Amino acid sequence: MPLARTRNIWKEVLITVLVIIVVVACVFPFFWMVLTSVKTRVQAINPSVWIFRPTLENYRAVFQKRDLFLYIKNSVIVVSVTTAISIFLGTLAAYGLARFRFPRKEDIAFWVLSLRMLPPMAVVIPFFLLGRFLGLLDTHILLAIVYLSFNIPFTIWMLRGFIEEIPLEIEEAALIDGCSRLSVLRRIVFPLTLPGIAATAIFCVIQSWNEFALAFFLTSFNARTVPTTVTFFLSVMGIIWGEMAAVGVVASVPVLLFAFIVQKYLVRGLTFGAIKS
Amino acid sequence: MQKSSKEGYIFILPSLLTLVAIVIFPTLFLWYVSLTNYDLSMGWEQKSFVGLRNFSFLFFEDKDFWYSLRISLLFMGVTVSLEFVLGLGVALLFHRHLRGKRVWMSLLMLPMVITPTIISLIWKLMLNTEYGVLNFIISQLGLGKVNWLGVREVFWSLILVDVWEWMPFVALILYAGMQSLPQEPYEAAIVDGASPGQVFFYLTLPLLKPMIVIALLLRSIDALKMFDVVYGLTQGGPGNATELMSLHIYRLGFRHTNWIGRASANAVILLFLSTFLTTILLRVLRREQGRGV
Repeated sequence: MPLARTRNIWKEVLITVLVIIVVVACVFPFFWMVLTSVKTRVQAINPSVWIFRPTLENYRAVFQKRDLFLYIKNSVIVVSVTTAISIFLGTLAAYGLARFRFPRKEDIAFWVLSLRMLPPMAVVIPFFLLGRFLGLLDTHILLAIVYLSFNIPFTIWMLRGFIEEIPLEIEEAALIDGCSRLSVLRRIVFPLTLPGIAATAIFCVIQSWNEFALAFFLTSFNARTVPTTVTFFLSVMGIIWGEMAAVGVVASVPVLLFAFIVQKYLVRGLTFGAIKS
Repeated sequence: MQKSSKEGYIFILPSLLTLVAIVIFPTLFLWYVSLTNYDLSMGWEQKSFVGLRNFSFLFFEDKDFWYSLRISLLFMGVTVSLEFVLGLGVALLFHRHLRGKRVWMSLLMLPMVITPTIISLIWKLMLNTEYGVLNFIISQLGLGKVNWLGVREVFWSLILVDVWEWMPFVALILYAGMQSLPQEPYEAAIVDGASPGQVFFYLTLPLLKPMIVIALLLRSIDALKMFDVVYGLTQGGPGNATELMSLHIYRLGFRHTNWIGRASANAVILLFLSTFLTTILLRVLRREQGRGV
């Protein structure tokens, strides 16, 4: 018996050590970026400095010299427009798929889902050329529209799952009472799925905020979004490491906040509702 | 309620029309451009129709195209395998009673939600030969410095970054799968005196198979279309050491040469490859959800 107990203790210790290694490995790179962002220029190129008096100089520099506000503003505009449109169109379509039977319904639903997987570099060329013909390059609206290509399929699939989870009886009762389909959608389905809609909207915000390839090719100055700030730091020579880290922290904070809110739905969101946990 | 009715089309029509306008039409346009010799330095009217010549250029003259195809597939194979093995290990590690589990698990999702280009900045900091903290830690352990972004090492560094970013994703999916497995087979196995190894290989793995397949296909598709992190970290370099297919398209079409026609042909090939994987994924999803094939 004592032997079994010591073996158990060693197993406990081993597991704890492994968990700590995994968590540290996931968090350390981010921690290191935060640390670098509050270092001075000299400290930033010395990886043996771990404890020091923090400075906010890098943050001041990225907002004043690099006009990070403009990038944030552009991102906020593009992200809000594309999310709002996707949620509106996606809710309608999700309701249609959840509550009606019609020919080839599943074919349509899966075709829509397949669009979510399109490689950005495969579609960016036509978007670029068409944007140029229409004089829409470097505008917020072009980017917001292009982002619908992955946000609409995503919202449809997420919301279809959420709507299918609410019981039919309430809607049926309302229909019998003479409510129209649209008012059932507005007065019953919408309020009941509101948490799901909010989570879906937050996922749209995260994936649109993070998108780089399309933003990089379809904008040049006026509509540049936050991920394109990576181009400040492409050459290795003369990079100001502290400022690079500060940009990274500013860009990550909103995403992390949003992700924290929806973490309950994370697996569901990352698999577009395919796996519900 | 679920009566067969054409009314459903009215609800999905706005979305469908939007998607046709912003995805199908541009994709057809891409195919068209891939059959022309258009390049950015000429006027749109000056281009001419060249048939499949852009494709034959890629296949027979452009060695870099084959290189990018090869390393794209290698990148996909290696990252997905590593993410599967490590992710499965981590899922098993967390699939038990642990103090503070919720906190640990929410820290686990950090890498996969951070903006990809910011991830390339983070790793630029970490991987720098002189100023990077990774070499600092290695040298503290008494090992020599590694030239992480050198021609020979860079591809593997890229794999390191991708595994860091996405291993937790695979782990979370498999963990969710393990949490939802039925209890009865396990009780029966214990009664029958099965060893933990037997339980794992003959029970857990087969029961998890659908989750595993879905997670790995999702990762494969993502790895195949990879652009942002590589662009931020190496732009395909040094030389073309990390020029995955998306970066080759970028180089053909937008950098130095402005061969939009040839880049489009390469984009069509990438589209074909990703559609192939997507079709398999959708078939699996459809079977799993019992929504008929």
